[in-house]
Amino acid sequence: MAKEVFYSGCAAAAYGAKFSRVEVISSYPIRPYTGIMMELSKLVANGDLDAEFVHGEGEHAQVSIAYGASAAGARAYTGSSGVGVTYAMECYSPAAGGRLPCQMAIADRALDPPGDFGSEHTDVMSARDQGWIMGWAETPQEVFDNTIMYYRIGEDPRVMLPQFCCQDGYFVSHIPGKVILPDQKAVDEYLPPYNNPHPLDPTRPVSHGPQIFPDQGPAIDLQRAQAFLDTPKVIAEAVKDFNKQFGRKYSPFVEEYMTDDADIAFFIMGGHARTARFAVNHLRKKGVKAGMVKLRFVRPWPTEAVAEALSKFKAVGTIETSTSYGGAMRGGNLIHEVRASLYDLPKRPAVTSFMAGLGGEVVTLNEFYEMAKILTEAAKSGKVKKGVYWLGFEPD
Amino acid sequence: MAEVKQVTIWARGVTQDMEGRHLSLLVANSADKDGKFVQAWDDYADLPDRVGVPLRKYARISEEEIEMRYEYENKQPNVVIVMDDTIIKGMDILHGMPKGGVLVVNSKRSADDLLKFIPNKELLSSITVVDASGIAADVAVDFMGSEGGVEVAAVGKGISAPLAGAASKATGLLKLESVVAVAANKEGVKQGAEAAKVKKL
Repeated sequence: MAKEVFYSGCAAAAYGAKFSRVEVISSYPIRPYTGIMMELSKLVANGDLDAEFVHGEGEHAQVSIAYGASAAGARAYTGSSGVGVTYAMECYSPAAGGRLPCQMAIADRALDPPGDFGSEHTDVMSARDQGWIMGWAETPQEVFDNTIMYYRIGEDPRVMLPQFCCQDGYFVSHIPGKVILPDQKAVDEYLPPYNNPHPLDPTRPVSHGPQIFPDQGPAIDLQRAQAFLDTPKVIAEAVKDFNKQFGRKYSPFVEEYMTDDADIAFFIMGGHARTARFAVNHLRKKGVKAGMVKLRFVRPWPTEAVAEALSKFKAVGTIETSTSYGGAMRGGNLIHEVRASLYDLPKRPAVTSFMAGLGGEVVTLNEFYEMAKILTEAAKSGKVKKGVYWLGFEPD
Repeated sequence: MAEVKQVTIWARGVTQDMEGRHLSLLVANSADKDGKFVQAWDDYADLPDRVGVPLRKYARISEEEIEMRYEYENKQPNVVIVMDDTIIKGMDILHGMPKGGVLVVNSKRSADDLLKFIPNKELLSSITVVDASGIAADVAVDFMGSEGGVEVAAVGKGISAPLAGAASKATGLLKLESVVAVAANKEGVKQGAEAAKVKKL
């Protein structure tokens, strides 16, 4: 029987891995994701989960162990936060290029300096172009669900890609929320065992990760790019089946809230979407036609879904919880992709961006109201004054 | 937006980490039982803890969904519960408390004795003292529930039980029978409520 529990995002991720029947787990401690491994080590030690639990000597080793296990045909699970995520950077491309669908749980943490435990998406956003599937959860429930869904998507023979299953550190990873744990049988029906078609096996030798000649490079890169073109279809199927199997209502790529007649919209991902929803409610009461669009996947970037969702508004503000220093819009990352997604449309909304929640700062209701003011003005005039706002820290 | 009642718990690092967290869970779980919207969590900056450092654990209770769930701290605690009375001397435990707040202390001392160490006591409408350590036995510390882990130990076996009982009596925010229902040491909750001495200020 399905049962309702009160879990943090960390515990929800660990149980998502357990229900996915992961076979190899590689760990190395760093806050705030540590709770995930603490929980998994308990499950393995108590005999509740039959998996190899391996301690890496660092994140580089951790991810190497995970994709090595995946190469040998095991469903592998690892994770990290902050500088741990960036320390493992070298290993991301081999995992993706090797088409090894291991999963890495991310509980975001700001990068150094200065030392900071707070959530900021810059850690794993730095790895977004390494060929991994990537998306954020808003609640512990979504963390649990995504963990299972991502394995199904990543291990699909049409995809075969590793996945970053991300959640905001502290906000989602450490504050408990209600989570429905399904029947194991229902998960087994949804998620078939992982099948590596060419596993490392001494009895049937194969080569993984060989050296190539330079002119072989483009063809291999094209295959990886092609896998990403095929992935949205697989995501749509996996989400639809998940909703059916477990009675959820996830949209595959973007979730819309109060958008039908909205003039302005917040474009956001991760835990702060929860506050954005409340902000929209309050703004509506004040007569502001605001809505919210929540992004569920950063990779593959859902170009068409984003264009379709955002084209109906007069002004859109992206909430940037990561930095792109010196980038085209001088602020965050999402606005680059949002503007690119909208470029070919005959009628586009005005788009600006808000640097918010950096270093783990709480994005408050008042901050959303400030954004709404700027967006309302942009909706009226049809253009934005600036491409980026550092709310509360604006240089005048 | 309905008012969110904020409960802040002060405990000692490591030795009281689990019982402190359990107390926040007893507060939240009992209010949840009464149909309230609740939240219970550890202070993010206080963890990972070291032996004896002051730790904060929090609960929030509201008639409606708690919108500012992500605020790291209870900035305006209506209720403060102190699990080790020596913390009072070193920390500004009532920091941010709106006037008319409630203080509950685990202590063998008298209320008047404790008030001497609280410079901003005019914020309080009452102080409640209970010898929780005298009522409940020490419980072996486990670290299973820290840093977002799932609690393995039954919630409310040690001093969190009598302190939750005392908090119920002192605040009227929690129904005693609901606290009893969610705590492992049910007798401890009742004894805590009985033994608690509420002094109106």
